[in-house]
Amino acid sequence: MAQAFRLGGELHEVWLSRTPRGYDLHIGEQRVAVALHGRGEHVHELVVGDQSRSVYVAVRGDNVHVHLDGEAHTLAYSHNLERFASEGQDRSEATARAPMPGSVISIPVEAGQAVKRGDVVVVIESMKMETAICAGLDGTVETIHVQQGQTFERDSLLVTLLPTEAP
Amino acid sequence: MKSWPFDTVLIANRGEIALRILRSVQQLGLKAAVVFHRADSRAPAVRQADHAIEITGTTPVAAYLDSAQILQAAKQCGAGAIHPGYGFLSENANFARACRDAGIRFVGPTPEVIDLMGDKVRARAFVQKHGFPVAPSAIEDDAPGTFLERARAVGFPLLIKPAAGGGGKGMRVVRTADQLAGEIERARSEGQRYFGDGRLYVERYIENPRHIEVQVLGDTHGKLVHLYERECSVQRRFQKIVEETPSPALDEVRRREICDTAAGISRSAGYSNAGTVEFIYGMGGEFYFLEMNTRLQVEHPVTEQLLGIDLVAEQLRVAAGDHLSFTQDDLKPRGHAIEFRVYAEDAAAGYLPTTGPILLLREPTGEGVRVDTGIVAGQEVTAAFDPMLAKLVITGSDRADAMARADTALRDYVLLGCKTNLAFLRRLLRNPAFVAGEVHTGFLDAHPEVAAEPAMAPDTVNALLAVASMASRPVKDAADAVPALHSAIGGWRN
Repeated sequence: MAQAFRLGGELHEVWLSRTPRGYDLHIGEQRVAVALHGRGEHVHELVVGDQSRSVYVAVRGDNVHVHLDGEAHTLAYSHNLERFASEGQDRSEATARAPMPGSVISIPVEAGQAVKRGDVVVVIESMKMETAICAGLDGTVETIHVQQGQTFERDSLLVTLLPTEAP
Repeated sequence: MKSWPFDTVLIANRGEIALRILRSVQQLGLKAAVVFHRADSRAPAVRQADHAIEITGTTPVAAYLDSAQILQAAKQCGAGAIHPGYGFLSENANFARACRDAGIRFVGPTPEVIDLMGDKVRARAFVQKHGFPVAPSAIEDDAPGTFLERARAVGFPLLIKPAAGGGGKGMRVVRTADQLAGEIERARSEGQRYFGDGRLYVERYIENPRHIEVQVLGDTHGKLVHLYERECSVQRRFQKIVEETPSPALDEVRRREICDTAAGISRSAGYSNAGTVEFIYGMGGEFYFLEMNTRLQVEHPVTEQLLGIDLVAEQLRVAAGDHLSFTQDDLKPRGHAIEFRVYAEDAAAGYLPTTGPILLLREPTGEGVRVDTGIVAGQEVTAAFDPMLAKLVITGSDRADAMARADTALRDYVLLGCKTNLAFLRRLLRNPAFVAGEVHTGFLDAHPEVAAEPAMAPDTVNALLAVASMASRPVKDAADAVPALHSAIGGWRN
């Protein structure tokens, strides 16, 4: 069954099969013999067809980090379930997420407070700049997920809003 | 052997600069103490220090800004001097004063000079009064009620700067009059938060200027020399990325002029210890005083490589009350040095900071290659601190030689787990305009192709997918679960 890796924002389907002599990699209609031989800690010899080169590899969770030809790349293994689930369900306008890592400067709203679309709900600092995170819709503040002074990673959930019911 | 008035130096900083200072302290036969926040407990400087004292704070940054705790740490380990590095307390006159009051030598200029140069408005006025060049400006404090009109009169584009600022923080370019009032309010809020001071000034924004700065070093006996210039024009968000010396822009006449101006400003201020005078340098060769940084700069290593000196060791000698051991004529620049700042950031995504674990780290080595780093494999890069991870400093016989060595070193620099700007730096190094030395502070905006990630060759994509497939358990396991049915091998079959 085909599996997939995400590389530079694109999903690439592959599958690997055993052969009497090793492994074949299938990408679309293409098929090639591949091998990865350990040559020391994190250093490997990669063989693709009749080409061989040295690569550095580090794996953490679903991420495969590769240093190839003088450049680092990250491939993320994509679980089948995730690929078939509709993306972005949780990314509606009812949530305010961090566009970048940073820290919370102030939270001008309280849970339960009514807000209008465009109202500032959190002010964050990142890259030495202040950025205002605004409500994406009219509603009330359901949950504030961060505290003043707290640092967070990119895509962290900051505030959840409860949309105002349509009249 | 030289006798010192102190035997222990406390390093009030973190990251690469803490380790850099530690190296010189220990080479001089002195003991190095460091303070550290828990988030840095695995840092190499903490491991290599003779004393390491934990400090705490509401955030990691707050710990390194807590002068009372740091002074307490200095007393605890018997440090007779404190080296503040850059950032944090390095340009805090009150901290320098508190050190003096506690009988501890602050490795830097006097609190009075820090005060003068730290107030960007006073510094400008001082420089102008002593006959050195400054850019057209309007200063809020002169008459706060008419600031907006006076700012407008300076003309657009203009640059809003916090009076107490530095390092590009809180600076904003305004191109049209209707944005002025709003941007002033935003700059004021940032200034208030970063420096506890919301006062501003505006300056005419020189389009496409170069940023050229001059290193100075003075002793406490009135002797001061310059240590030549550094070209620091390649910047993003007003922060430097690449610095080199000599500047490709200067001929011998201009070089002498700008270096002598820097030394003249510093002498007028009674400057002692290491400092840097920054200038904006226009396309016509005109230059204006920008600010003076009263501390060791991030990019000091290029000067060290050019002149074969150890600036931190010189700073410590000056702090010990020694006379400068060389004259201006003794300083002979040789070759070319260039520094690349390795940042945890995604250049193609607007230089957004990145985070992640450092799973594998192989730093380049070789002739002319110096890496100033504070990170180790196993460490987590977080959003808690500045995203600079390390500095790659390359020295060559001339600029072309240094750039050729840099290309190899950037290729050999392996850091896996957290996205960095290493590939971006290599693209920059190969950009024809950069190769020609045609840089200015708007260089990266004018050359967006440097930040953009080029499309990968199909061959590269296939090689990466091959590695990922072989290294991923689910993919490998799925393959191993099925017996070998095919015996075809080698070559793509279409």
